[in-house]
Amino acid sequence: MRLHAWAWLALSSLLLSPLDGATLPRYGGTLTVELSSAWNSVESAGPIAPLVMETLVRVNEKAEIEPLLATAWQRDADRKRWRFSLRPKVFFHDGEPFNAASAVPSLMAALKKKYGDVNITAGGQALVLQFDRPIPDLLTELASPRTAIFRSPSIGTGPFRVTAWEPSHKLTLAAFDDYWAGRPFLDSVTVNLGTTRAVGDVFDIPFSQTRRVLSERTRIWSSPVRELIALVSDNVQPEVFEALALVIDRAPIVNVLAQRKAEAAHGLLPQWLSGYAFLFTNSPDLTRAKQIVSRLRVAPLTLSYPANDGFARSVAERVALNARDAGIVVQPTPNPGGTVRMVRWPLESTDAASELSRIAAMLGMPDRANSLNPAKPETLYEAERALLDAHRVIPIVHLPEVYGIAPRVHNWETAQKNGGFVLHLDNIWVDP
Amino acid sequence: MSFRTKIFLSITGTVVFAVWIVAGVVSALVTKSFERRDAQRTATLVSQFHGEFDRRGAEVARRLDAIADSDEIARIAVDLSSSQFDPGKYLEQAQTLAREQSLDFLELVGPDGTIISSAEWSARFGYKEGWLLQSGDSKSIFLKREELADGAALGLIAVRTVRAGNGQLYIAGGQRLDEQFLDTLPQVEGLRVRLYNAFEAASPPLVREVQQQPRELTRTTPDAAITAIPLSGRDNQLLAILLVENSRSELASLKKYIQGTAFLVGTAAVLLGLLLSFWTASRVTKPLRELTSRVREVTGGKWDTRATVGSSDEVGQLARDFNRMTEQLVEHRDRMIQAERVAAWRELARRLAHELKNPLFPLQITIENLQRARNTPQFEEVFRESTTTLLAELDNLKTIVGRFSDFAKMPAPQLEQMDLNQVVQEVIRLFDAQIHAPGRPPVEVTLDLDQNLALIQADSEQIRRALRNLILNALDAMPPAGGTLTIRTQNLDGKVALDVSDSGAGLTPEECERLFTPYYTTKQHGTGLGLAIVQSVVSDHKGTITVHSEPGKGATFRIELKV
Repeated sequence: MRLHAWAWLALSSLLLSPLDGATLPRYGGTLTVELSSAWNSVESAGPIAPLVMETLVRVNEKAEIEPLLATAWQRDADRKRWRFSLRPKVFFHDGEPFNAASAVPSLMAALKKKYGDVNITAGGQALVLQFDRPIPDLLTELASPRTAIFRSPSIGTGPFRVTAWEPSHKLTLAAFDDYWAGRPFLDSVTVNLGTTRAVGDVFDIPFSQTRRVLSERTRIWSSPVRELIALVSDNVQPEVFEALALVIDRAPIVNVLAQRKAEAAHGLLPQWLSGYAFLFTNSPDLTRAKQIVSRLRVAPLTLSYPANDGFARSVAERVALNARDAGIVVQPTPNPGGTVRMVRWPLESTDAASELSRIAAMLGMPDRANSLNPAKPETLYEAERALLDAHRVIPIVHLPEVYGIAPRVHNWETAQKNGGFVLHLDNIWVDP
Repeated sequence: MSFRTKIFLSITGTVVFAVWIVAGVVSALVTKSFERRDAQRTATLVSQFHGEFDRRGAEVARRLDAIADSDEIARIAVDLSSSQFDPGKYLEQAQTLAREQSLDFLELVGPDGTIISSAEWSARFGYKEGWLLQSGDSKSIFLKREELADGAALGLIAVRTVRAGNGQLYIAGGQRLDEQFLDTLPQVEGLRVRLYNAFEAASPPLVREVQQQPRELTRTTPDAAITAIPLSGRDNQLLAILLVENSRSELASLKKYIQGTAFLVGTAAVLLGLLLSFWTASRVTKPLRELTSRVREVTGGKWDTRATVGSSDEVGQLARDFNRMTEQLVEHRDRMIQAERVAAWRELARRLAHELKNPLFPLQITIENLQRARNTPQFEEVFRESTTTLLAELDNLKTIVGRFSDFAKMPAPQLEQMDLNQVVQEVIRLFDAQIHAPGRPPVEVTLDLDQNLALIQADSEQIRRALRNLILNALDAMPPAGGTLTIRTQNLDGKVALDVSDSGAGLTPEECERLFTPYYTTKQHGTGLGLAIVQSVVSDHKGTITVHSEPGKGATFRIELKV
């Protein structure tokens, strides 16, 4: 498998990356990752957790489900019974072999949390999941880090094993020699959490600093947009919220505040996920917004944005400026409890229907999951249109994750094409 | 009010009034002095504020010049002149430059007034700052209201321009003018300075007053003297109000001290007044009190009393005069007694002569008639008539002598418990025959006796005699056509009263005054002893007798006797 990857990487390097192509892959070295986020457990450690624990399936760069720990699967017609064939010759980090029986405990806990009752039957490398109702989005859920397989906390089947863990502070990983897809090139990975330093080999950076990093000859890599920034209202008059939606100019937010790294969000789901987001595109209509405001008696609004979030604060202040043009007073505040809330909703799944259902649930609006058919995008569009027309939520911008990549890191861009909401470090190498 | 109280009030009042006046004057002088000091301190502080304003303004100008001369600004100016200018590149440029130069406000503004980068409100890029196009590079420092995401603030602002292609890049920056700015001013104890933005709604009343009508105002409260000074921007728009608060706690404590001292002095004055009044009173009123007691003795009948002459002052002179007066009174009394005795003897002699002369003349005529008729046939008849007349006149003489004898031998009363009503009824019965005798004018007798009349300790025989005399007087006073005799008894406070009233001609005030004088009578044939006997009886019973009468309205005699 490792040779397989070798060949693939060599070919892709020759075709896609003249720089990487000039450097031969090499084993060894430590990759230092600096992340501004912090987590209390390895299982919940966002894009890092999949380095340690793997799921049965995963989402590729085309948003398609492909095998990971499961090599094949079948389902019955009503999608209640699912049978997975598990990958053979896979081992946990403690040396125990991976089989159906060892997958049951963590899988059972995750699925029960999501779907309620589930019956799991394990036999050798075959795993049968029996639900009492149809589960159309099961594969999407099984691609989520929430359903990762592990024997005990921090012991999974991923390309790296945990050697040291300081919650919310530091994670140290070492290459897992018995990884089923071949040993990673890196010997170890050090992940520093909760840091905003633009140092190390890989680090996430705020949008406002992307140009400065560029000037320091560091590569900037942006993931596909994975997060929605939106305004949510619980008790503001729908007409006022409509006027606010009309007056927000997303172009300066995308071009200046997000340094052209983001996408203007006119819909709730990004274009790559829904395929119809362009249908929601519109331009600010200050005249109509003023007409609406002139008919109403608009009380000052307070806009709560996430505390310690500089980008959210800038967006909130820009929204306040735009609102003032229409005669709506909006006061941004980092304190919770505002009449309007700015939310950051990361995508959790690559299934549009699931995401719409999740957003409807977060808005406290009726779930139209039964009427959603992924095969018929118009049902998704109508559902999203209904959510927007309720004037409870105003999408503003879809954000990617932006990382600074040091020059010594190779094959980064290619490796990340494996998709999903994770960092793929198993196929990159670093200069000494 | 006693003499001692008067002295006390006079001394205390005088001292307290003086202390109050002094305290008031001192307090007023101190207040005025503090007001003058407050005004000086305020003027000094305002001068320091303006000095600091100029100094900080010069600092802002220097830092803005440094920014204008920096490579970053030169790069932006060049970039601005290109057709592919991307403001996103400079989103945080103003913040970086402001941080480097320690400025609170910094905006980089394009030739058309569009904000390229804002340190104080980074999201404001793309918006216009029209005022900059009109102001240009004026080099001056001015106050300006700066719009911020969370409200507005007051800034000490300067503007610089840098050539950028065909236009100009405007650099507007400055520092915040707030309480921290005021902290740089010299700290003076008791002096507090605050700065209020004119555009803030929640302000003290004095600030609101200046907001409505910009002018310097001063208000004084018991705690502080507050001066509000308006601060304006370039277009004379009121932007801020400097509030200088001079604490008056020092003045208040000083006033309190003055009041406390005045109170203590006042209290001491009261005590001093009390002591002085006692001392003065003992010095002045002691001889006066002794003199007063001597006067009381004189009024009590002890005319030969003498006051002690203890000094040669007015009081001593008064005592000497008093002694002289009592001496003269005693001498006068003795002379009066002597004169009265002589007069009484004369009156007695006159009365006796008068009373005795009347019967003596018929006796003389009768005896002379008897002598002339001695050898006449009518001698027997004359003799019989003459002896009858002689006997009658001798009886008359005996009666006169008896009355004088009765008056002379008035015995001491034998007190016993008696019912006055019963005495009245018994005595009036004795006069029944006389009142209803034929030929006498009709007299109506009215008895108005209190049935609950208290018993009295008296000599019933003497009371009867007194009552008889009063009734005889009343009957004698009746007019020829008759009248009404009224006898009334009643209880008074610890006494009983006996009134005998007639409906006669009444008495003049002069007659009332002399009525009880022995041998004084208003009747043609009276001895003048009747009422004197009545008064003697009443006096012996420690009682009083009075008469109330007006001419033509009868007379009422009242005897009051102790129960």
